[in-house]
Amino acid sequence: MASHYEAPIREPLVTGEKSYHDVTVDVAAPVEGRANKQWWIVFSIALVAFLWGLGCIIYTVSTGIGVWGLNKTVGWAWDITNFVWWVGIGHAGTLISAVLLLFRQKWRMAVNRSAEAMTIFSVVQAGLFPIIHMGRPWLAYWVLPIPNQFGSLWVNFNSPLLWDVFAISTYLSVSLVFWWTGLLPDFAMLRDRAVKPFQKKIYSLLSFGWSGRAKDWQRFEEVSLVLAGLATPLVLSVHTIVSFDFATSVIPGWHSTIYPPYFVAGAIFSGFAMVLTLLIIMRKVSNLEAYITRGHIEYMNKVILLTGGIVSVAYITEFFIAWYSGSNYEDYTYLSIGAATGPYWWAFWALIICNFIVPQTLWIKKLRRNYMWSFIVSIVINIGMWFERFDIIVINLSKGHLPSSWTMFSPTFVDVGIFLGTIGFFFVLFLLYARTFPVIAQAEVKTILKSSGERYKRLREDGNSLVGTGADSRTSDIVGTTKENLDQDTKNNS
Amino acid sequence: MASNKKYWSSVEELNPNSSIAETLKQNEFVEEIPNDEFLGDKDSLGSSSTSRRDFLKYVGFTTAAASLAACEGPVTKSIPYVVQPENIVPGVANYYATTIADGYDFASILIKTREGRPIKIESNTDAKINGGANARVHASVLGLYDSMRVQGPKAKGEYISWDDLDTNVASGLNAAKASGKQIVLLTQTFASPSVKNIIAEFSQKYGNVKHIQYDAISEDAALNAFEASYGVRALADYDFSKAEVIVSFGADFLGDWQGGGFDSDYAKGRIPSHGKMSRHIQFESNMSLTGANADKRVPLTPTQQKVALAKFYGFLNGKSVGGELPAKIEEAVKNAAAQVARAGKNAVVVTGINDIDAQKVVLSINKSIGSVVMDADAPRMTRQGNAKQVAALVEDMKAGKVGALIMSGVNPLYTLPNASEFEAGLASVDLSVAFSLKEDETSTKAGYIAAEPHYLESWGDVEMKKGHYSLMQPTIRPIFNTRQFQESLLKWAGNDVSYHDYIKQTWESTVLGGSSWNTALHDGVFVGNGNVTVETDEDAVPFAASNEDTEPVNAEATVASVSSSVNKLAGAAANGMEITLYPKTGMGDGRQANNPWLQELPDPITRNTWDNYLTISMADAEALDLENYTVSNGALNGDYVKVTVGGVTLDKVPALIQPGQAKGTVGLSFGYGKTLGVKEEMKTGVNAYPLYLGFNNTQEVKLEKVSGTHEFASVQMKSTMDGRGDILRETSLEIFNTKDSHDWNPQPEVSVNHQEVSADEADIWAEFDSSIGHHFNLSIDLNACTGCGACVIACHAENNVPVVGKSEVRKYRDMHWLRIDRYYSSEESFEGDMDVVEAAPNSISTYHQLEHPSENPQVAFQPVMCQHCNHAPCETVCPVAATSHGKQGQNQMIYNRCVGTRYCANNCPYKVRRFNWFLYSQNDEFDFYMNDDLGRMVLNPDVTVRSRGVMEKCSMCIQMTQKTILDAKRDGRPIKDGEFKTACSAACSSGAIKFGDVNDKESEIVELKEDKRMYHLLGFKGTRPNVFYHTKVRNTEEA
Repeated sequence: MASHYEAPIREPLVTGEKSYHDVTVDVAAPVEGRANKQWWIVFSIALVAFLWGLGCIIYTVSTGIGVWGLNKTVGWAWDITNFVWWVGIGHAGTLISAVLLLFRQKWRMAVNRSAEAMTIFSVVQAGLFPIIHMGRPWLAYWVLPIPNQFGSLWVNFNSPLLWDVFAISTYLSVSLVFWWTGLLPDFAMLRDRAVKPFQKKIYSLLSFGWSGRAKDWQRFEEVSLVLAGLATPLVLSVHTIVSFDFATSVIPGWHSTIYPPYFVAGAIFSGFAMVLTLLIIMRKVSNLEAYITRGHIEYMNKVILLTGGIVSVAYITEFFIAWYSGSNYEDYTYLSIGAATGPYWWAFWALIICNFIVPQTLWIKKLRRNYMWSFIVSIVINIGMWFERFDIIVINLSKGHLPSSWTMFSPTFVDVGIFLGTIGFFFVLFLLYARTFPVIAQAEVKTILKSSGERYKRLREDGNSLVGTGADSRTSDIVGTTKENLDQDTKNNS
Repeated sequence: MASNKKYWSSVEELNPNSSIAETLKQNEFVEEIPNDEFLGDKDSLGSSSTSRRDFLKYVGFTTAAASLAACEGPVTKSIPYVVQPENIVPGVANYYATTIADGYDFASILIKTREGRPIKIESNTDAKINGGANARVHASVLGLYDSMRVQGPKAKGEYISWDDLDTNVASGLNAAKASGKQIVLLTQTFASPSVKNIIAEFSQKYGNVKHIQYDAISEDAALNAFEASYGVRALADYDFSKAEVIVSFGADFLGDWQGGGFDSDYAKGRIPSHGKMSRHIQFESNMSLTGANADKRVPLTPTQQKVALAKFYGFLNGKSVGGELPAKIEEAVKNAAAQVARAGKNAVVVTGINDIDAQKVVLSINKSIGSVVMDADAPRMTRQGNAKQVAALVEDMKAGKVGALIMSGVNPLYTLPNASEFEAGLASVDLSVAFSLKEDETSTKAGYIAAEPHYLESWGDVEMKKGHYSLMQPTIRPIFNTRQFQESLLKWAGNDVSYHDYIKQTWESTVLGGSSWNTALHDGVFVGNGNVTVETDEDAVPFAASNEDTEPVNAEATVASVSSSVNKLAGAAANGMEITLYPKTGMGDGRQANNPWLQELPDPITRNTWDNYLTISMADAEALDLENYTVSNGALNGDYVKVTVGGVTLDKVPALIQPGQAKGTVGLSFGYGKTLGVKEEMKTGVNAYPLYLGFNNTQEVKLEKVSGTHEFASVQMKSTMDGRGDILRETSLEIFNTKDSHDWNPQPEVSVNHQEVSADEADIWAEFDSSIGHHFNLSIDLNACTGCGACVIACHAENNVPVVGKSEVRKYRDMHWLRIDRYYSSEESFEGDMDVVEAAPNSISTYHQLEHPSENPQVAFQPVMCQHCNHAPCETVCPVAATSHGKQGQNQMIYNRCVGTRYCANNCPYKVRRFNWFLYSQNDEFDFYMNDDLGRMVLNPDVTVRSRGVMEKCSMCIQMTQKTILDAKRDGRPIKDGEFKTACSAACSSGAIKFGDVNDKESEIVELKEDKRMYHLLGFKGTRPNVFYHTKVRNTEEA
């Protein structure tokens, strides 16, 4: 395996003097070490937000949806906005691990684990909303086509909400299996390193008895490929179906054939932004600078630029078509002059600035390779994509066909509380993950270490043989030419 | 009949001598009971392991278990009939004809009772007059179950017995008689022949008795004018269906002007037939329901109205009349006069100006043109109040001349402008008794509260108009320990006959003229057959003679007095702003202020609920720096003003900017600001009666902005149609008569194979066959709809629609299944709106231009309920199929199945679906009628009370249509056209809402559907509604 030829012009994907053992040690460090103060602070804040959100959910379920700011005209607002937002965020993970796997993009290896963890955690948040937004959530199981005693009563297969149920649950389960499959060798690595019996027990359970035999690896590769094949269509289908909630309706601004591709692009756009947000912090906090490099950030920014471009074209199309239709029922859709100058002008312009204008700065190479700017842009996009869904739902609903029924929407503390709660819940999960899971797919990274590791690239360019260079003095005796090679290299380097 | 059946025990009985048969007779058990087997064997008993202690344990356990098992679960108070009451079949409604005559609303109605409970009011279609129940009348059934009702006679806040009350009152009356002081009966207008007789009897017994009738909102000027002209204290009746031209000077005759009830006749004349419909010109200050329906509306101040009326008289009679009017108004007056002159006897002029001269002038105009619309021969009796007598009474009371005051149906301490003086006077009255439903402002101050029954528990009779009688009968046993005013007066007069018998006697001797009493009682109404004549003048009015205006005058004197009246009107002048006080559609004079249905009924014009407010024009608001603005959730906020009228000040009145309000005028409605006898939630608005100085509804007023922000509860945020003229289609009579319907009522078309075909023919789905069985359609004629709101309340009552309260309405969470949208034009007319759209579509300036209503806009009403789409957008999106299509065309909502995603409501283009945000019944947060056992008695047992978390909406009253179908099936007959009804169609006395089965090809609904005015709301969406509308036609023809 391994050392396929990689052009010197390509940036190394693993920087620094990393040996195989270094990779193992670096990935295992957060799991084996103790949490620092910052972790505890952030975790406490997230936990408090989560508990507050939980309180708000309990209040909603026990009192009624009336504790939200909804009204007779605006039947959805923050609930479905949050739902679509979280689902969208969940898109990057699968794209990175499945689509990029099929396209053999090796840079995904450093980020796919966390991206997919983010996917799963955000789909969990997303899945909350369709349940708690129901007037009678205790009957939520009625949307499942389970055999029942209600006579011939069955779910309505015409309803996009039902398709959502299938789409989201499929997505969650496939993502989870895919993620876990990738985790098996890494869990096994942690198991093998664990010294405490309890830890060892847990990780041996989690690693499903991974033994590291060649057969294991062969099956692992096969399953990964099959799952990637399965997951790829899901990247497109999930948000397509979410967009059907709107596209198949008859409401001006919702009823739009452009929605499926536009929503998918928007989802990847927001997903990558969230991956950036998380990883730019994580690479610092968990000392993963060598694995998540400037190059990785740039790659992701390029994807953002592409999907952001698609989204921008969609905005322009929507705006133009609403105007071009000449129908005055389209005068106040979320992308129209009516919206830009109406009472929700701020939401309209938040969307345009955050999603349309700010990401354009990434055309400049210097900016898209700048950690700080990338971080800011990623946050801005996250905000913008939330506003996109808010605009689609609230602005369009608030100004429907009959002006007599126009209203507006104002969130209550419960709306806000539940949203903050899901953010808290997300970070609780993510922070726990960061402390207990191998946050980088080390087994995979090791496969590219020799082809794309900085040190090995340099060795190769210098005309040195890579034979034996994988050895590490901490794990094996280094003798002969290997030692000479390494010593020479170290000397040259210093 | 005793049974002679013999039961055989065995064949042995056939043999009379059988020993076995004999033994069987003696012994219940054929074989010996084996006691010994169990108890005989002492050994085994002794060896039993059950000790005495065990035995006691068993006994203890079984006792405990038995008593535990005997414990009841929650007690549900449901008692089956042991003996079935006559005429009550559980599940089948009984209807009784009765009459509401609460002093403000007079109507002949039918009461639907279920299992003995009155639950709904319907119009009495047999009645020739006042047979149509308005919104307040429909809501009045809830007053029966009002938990704030006083439950028995009270003295000093303590319940007493009627016997005690009778004793005390008798001694009080005798004392008054002995002291020579007045005994005054201060009552509402009863217009009742029996009451008149009773009072006569009562006067006979006590001598110095005065009967003073008091209408909270006075028609004194009109009564005086009519009395002066025709010698009868009554009001002219009008049949607007006969009118070709209607000119109104401030008369809100579609509201409560002169007792109201003119709308159904008016609506008849508004439906264009044979190219003709009435032309209605309205001169007024406030934007009234009548002005909103007018073809032409001219806003002007109350003073200008007087001048305009004088000028109108001048133009009509070719005389020049002085007085200044703006040129535009003068032009309008001139045109109106020309149109009246041309229409001749088919025209009518009415006025609401509270001025005897104005009323006289109008009467004389109608008389001189020979108007067939006005009926002065059989005038209306439903307003009798005499302002002068009431004023004199206050003086007499203060002077200590009144020994006893008995009140019924009035609340002077709330409704009198000089309530404090009345209160002072009341203190010096020796005996004061208030017959009242409530412990209200007056009854709590009176010596005794005599608990009155609700009219649904009472007997009574009314002469609505001369020769037209109506009977009131109880529809339930009195719920509380109450006694009627009439019954009490009879008792105090020493007559022991019951009021029922008394009415019967009265009617048999003076009304029926040989007709059957039972038939009259069954019908509820009776039209005099000329066999008896009834005098209508006032015997007990000592003031009548002293009133110089009320004396009948001869013809020449009339001409002279009319021209002097005209001159007086022409000379009217005012300083500064003027206020017009008016009764609101929902609240009337305020006697039903504790009725949550009415509080939550959106005002047809302002669409505001739970409030009254000062209506003010945009220009005046700007001048006073007053603002109305929407907050982040779309709710309306407004500034407060201090209102001062002749030394009386209301400190904080919210100001509402009202398009169409004449510049220089403001309006404020009566009926709000009650403080006693109403629940906390209903204590809304401000009391306008203190401004009602001299019973004059127009006053000069001073306004001053004060600090604070008022929170309105409006159900409609946007007041214009935003150039979407397709929603409420409208055309002029001229275009309607001359152009093809394609020009003014185009039906949507779609392209199929590059051919434009009617949208109804194109379908991407296989059509369901709906030709078998019934298929219901609802027709709404926008020409006939006056926006009165009766249907909204009827729907409330029929369908157990919850009340949500002011703060929830403010959040736009009203639950009305049926709403009446009101749109203002942005330009002078809706036609002008469309011109703006055509001139510059899609431009920012167009948006802004169309977003704001014009200063004097055209107004249009559109009732919207679930459209029952055959291609319903809501049905496809529900994940659990909780809303689905019925075989008869209904879009049905299955509450049990609903999980509450609200997707259906979002996807409804008509926004008619309503979500139960909270639990609205039996929830202390929503302390309205559904929160107490008494209030819940009004619920319709045929309709589920929805729980929280489910969607609800109009069901097209499926419980009513199914009932009709089952009745016909049981009778084995086909269903007649017109039998199918919904609550709204039954309540619509103006005939705007019609309901029927389109599979009955002979039915009226089919004819309506094929009418060229027919269109479907948002028909281009392809939803194929089963509700359709008829394009509004305005008669814009000028003279």
